[in-house]
Amino acid sequence: MVCIHFVNSRTQSVAGMARHVYLAHLCCSTRCLTSRNDPVAVIGHPLSAPEKHPYGGCRAVVPVSDRMPSHAPPLLYIMSVLGAVALYLMMKPAASGTGGSTGRAGHVAGIILGLGVFAWLLKTCIDLFAPEGGSPEILFVIFSVIALASSVRMICHSRPVYSALYFVMVVLSSAALFLLLGAEFMAFALIIVYAGAILITYMFVLMLAQQSDDPNRDTGDVSSGAEYDRLPREPAMAAVMGFLMLALLGSMVYDGVADLKDAPTAQQATLRDLLQLNRMPRELDAIVAGLVAEEGAEAVWRSTGDAVYTEGNKAFVDVALPGRVHQRVELTPEHMPTNVQHVGLALVAKFPVSLELAGIILLLAMFGAAVLSRRQIELSEDELREAAGLHRMTALDDTDHDDSGQTGKTDRPSSTGQGGSR
Amino acid sequence: MSDLLLAQELVQFEAFGRLGLSHYLLTSALMFIIGIVGFVTRRNMIVMFLCTELMFQAAAIAMIAFGRYHMDISGQVFVIFILTVAAAEAALALALVVLLYRRKETLSAEEWSELGEAAA
Repeated sequence: MVCIHFVNSRTQSVAGMARHVYLAHLCCSTRCLTSRNDPVAVIGHPLSAPEKHPYGGCRAVVPVSDRMPSHAPPLLYIMSVLGAVALYLMMKPAASGTGGSTGRAGHVAGIILGLGVFAWLLKTCIDLFAPEGGSPEILFVIFSVIALASSVRMICHSRPVYSALYFVMVVLSSAALFLLLGAEFMAFALIIVYAGAILITYMFVLMLAQQSDDPNRDTGDVSSGAEYDRLPREPAMAAVMGFLMLALLGSMVYDGVADLKDAPTAQQATLRDLLQLNRMPRELDAIVAGLVAEEGAEAVWRSTGDAVYTEGNKAFVDVALPGRVHQRVELTPEHMPTNVQHVGLALVAKFPVSLELAGIILLLAMFGAAVLSRRQIELSEDELREAAGLHRMTALDDTDHDDSGQTGKTDRPSSTGQGGSR
Repeated sequence: MSDLLLAQELVQFEAFGRLGLSHYLLTSALMFIIGIVGFVTRRNMIVMFLCTELMFQAAAIAMIAFGRYHMDISGQVFVIFILTVAAAEAALALALVVLLYRRKETLSAEEWSELGEAAA
């Protein structure tokens, strides 16, 4: 038996096998025991005792041959092809008029195929990363299925307004995914900004540009609507191209996730978060006051410029009490700053320039939108003279600019459309 | 007491681990691909821009997942900047679309395929 540290496992002759075991156990092990001829890998977590850790205590013994995902890349490509077929079937317009039922059957087949491909991909992730039967959170599955299904529906729907509504669906379910990832502030910001502001703008423009002369726009018939909305352009090629890219991305993930540096343990992360309190003096004082429950208690700032310090795996803060010596108080995970505090601190303390730039971008976008959508009106000589308070040079029955350029029926003369600002 | 809390969190965190990361990356990649396919296939200019928003969305999911994985807040902060860029892009793109719609009374992108030649 050889003991391999997986950080440099790629350089070893048994690297291939070790890496597969590593991939299979990324989520649970920092060290693994395996050998070249032994088809069994013993996975141990050196840091934690079995009762604390679900996979701990060297108890997981996994036959390498079963778990070796050497067959995964070709299957990944096959699955990508199937995914392309599914997307193509879903995108194909329902044959209007004659064979509506065959089109519908194609859609159903596409949906089933797509769900199957997604399930397989998820399962591959599980096989790769948690062979002991770890399963993704059920909420994650629900919301990602909703998100992906609505995004497919969004790019397939023949009515742009419905596409926008399905996009709202995508935004809501990805906000739910954000919540699952612990990013509460971003989840609500996403809903407010995306669903509340951006999508409303889209809806306004869609309504503005709605073809009003469409005879059966209210019938709900999918085959109605403009021709350029009904028929996708090159759906087969696009699906193949897209899923080629998915296969590429997938194989990169397959190779690349192993190279990620290890995630910090919860302890490290907690300590790091608690140290962030050094940059929130008021919050720290409030916490200290709550901990000591005595009038006039406040945190002591040491000569190094911080108040919170770590010893071993714990964070402490010195508290000054009036008329008494300093007292040391331990900070626990429940004193960690909240998500909003984190985001706000990082935004103003870590990325102040980016924040300013974001503001400038928004301002310029506002100006740009106003300039672009402004209606270009060319004033005639007489109107200029009138504006300047002079007399007109010709009689008032001049009719050349009566509608001031309002939505000309056909191509307007180029002189009115292209103003001086371009 | 605090040890207990930490131990509980440890278990939860390790359960997320890379398993969760790859799942979120998978969802994000699929959503991005769907956005690209939509951008290529749709011929309505507004829907094309909606598809770019879908791609932004996918990138945001990947960023938040990586941020969660590294327990680093920067991922979330950059989603704020993604939102900014998306808002700016929506404003400008929609202004352009309104402008183009006024001139040809259609939202079809193909109407403007000869844009470059016409200018020459």
